[in-house]
Amino acid sequence: MFIGTEQLTHTYMPGTPFSTTALQDITFNFRQGEFNLILGPSGSGKSTLIQHLNGLLKPTAGRVIFEGKNIGDNKKGLLYLRRRIGLVFQMPEEQFFSETVFDEVAFAPRNQGLTEDEVKKRVVEALSKTGLDLPGLSERHPFQLSAGQKRLVAIAAVLSINPEVLILDEPTVALDKSGRKSLFDLLTELNRKEGLTVIISTHHLDEAAALADRVLVLNQGKVVMSGPADEIFGRREQIYSLGLALPPVTEIMHALNEKGLTVKTAVYTLQEGRREIINALRRDRS
Amino acid sequence: MALVGPNGSGKTTLLKLFNALLIPSGGEVMVKGISTAEEARLPEVRRTCGMIFQNPDNQLVATTVEEDIAFGLENLALPPDVIRKRVLDTAHILGLERLLKQPPHLLSGGEKQRVAIAGVLAMEPECILMDEPTAMLDPAARRDVLKTVHELNRARGIAVVHVTHFPEEAARADRVAVLDKGKLVADGESEDILTNLPFLHRLGLQGTTAVELADLLRRDGCSLPPKIFQDRELVDSLCLLAQNS
Repeated sequence: MFIGTEQLTHTYMPGTPFSTTALQDITFNFRQGEFNLILGPSGSGKSTLIQHLNGLLKPTAGRVIFEGKNIGDNKKGLLYLRRRIGLVFQMPEEQFFSETVFDEVAFAPRNQGLTEDEVKKRVVEALSKTGLDLPGLSERHPFQLSAGQKRLVAIAAVLSINPEVLILDEPTVALDKSGRKSLFDLLTELNRKEGLTVIISTHHLDEAAALADRVLVLNQGKVVMSGPADEIFGRREQIYSLGLALPPVTEIMHALNEKGLTVKTAVYTLQEGRREIINALRRDRS
Repeated sequence: MALVGPNGSGKTTLLKLFNALLIPSGGEVMVKGISTAEEARLPEVRRTCGMIFQNPDNQLVATTVEEDIAFGLENLALPPDVIRKRVLDTAHILGLERLLKQPPHLLSGGEKQRVAIAGVLAMEPECILMDEPTAMLDPAARRDVLKTVHELNRARGIAVVHVTHFPEEAARADRVAVLDKGKLVADGESEDILTNLPFLHRLGLQGTTAVELADLLRRDGCSLPPKIFQDRELVDSLCLLAQNS
């Protein structure tokens, strides 16, 4: 098992009137190098699960596994874990505290006790990966940047630790179209070219569906579906009954089928939709 | 009305001007004939225009959900039975009955946003200003909130100004205004604006999926009608095309 959980249960404020079981008996396994989605309606436990994956929360019961080992075993293990698993919180730019983009991205490598030369190298690399290697940008205040750029700075600040797994909690929230595009271009590059394992939690499939290899679906703290992306997205009725939705282009493909034009429905981008419809029209003609 | 534009184009600033959270440096903002620069009449302006922020954490104040929904009403010094009824009615509309006794900070993002919306709806404003209110909601909650807001608009005549990044949401508005770099660059019927792809793309914006897909298919030689706005129109036209070939 690369990263996953075994019978993980998490209860918030146990033994109080507010005791809430956020996760119950969660077992799953994500493979190295894959693009994984944790999907579920609000309140289903996605953020709680993500915080377990780099040891920010302790299981009430069960185990969290990384590279075959239980991560909660000792404190030294946790430190090691957090250098290998980078976590980007929801709306991460709200937590910026440095005066410059450089210092923000340098925070983690400096904390690791690296020399200032090595820190600089890490920062330059992280800014270049995220497309933020623009003249003068690293000396600017992070709050002077656009919303999309701020989100990328937050990701660069995590990439600077050279993680093997990148976890992002609802990374597209409050980004406009071009911000979402730069974000997904980056995630595609990191996952497909550099082989970084990516895990994102979301309830917004528009961009994520096309990249996903594997999907874990949560509802009310339990696993309700788990498997390869196409198989999960093919279960449309169940997706909707959970209060989720397929990307708009996938919906159009389903509507075409219902109206009698036979097309493949495992289509998640405009370009795939375009190809599939043109092919279907040609098939119809011949 | 939907207000669209790239990040940083001034949408949130404009909303804050409508609610007199900001006072214009030049010119005037009028709310029901009252200038927002008239300090003595600010309570009237703010009662007319209720504001829903993007991040509900900035809008929740009380220790339980029901107290939070009641907060604004208590400030108006309404009788307790009126407050109770309005809190329950609003909680019902937004599906929050089950959560009334819960502390808001323990709710999920989507639930928190519904509580924030409930707090504003309970005040029965004449205009609701919404700054990407669905950004943190799941699709079902998003549909609920949009449906609720739509009904408040249609049935009770509450004006809505809705800032959104989602073309599918903007398409539900009667009117769309587009901001870019602090200037109003378009204002008109939603169909006219959201089908003008060259204009939208130049600003880094997008049409609805049906409009975008129709455009790509036309480039590949599909003879689709010039006005395709809704999914249904695209699907019907394509099926017709397949039958006639």
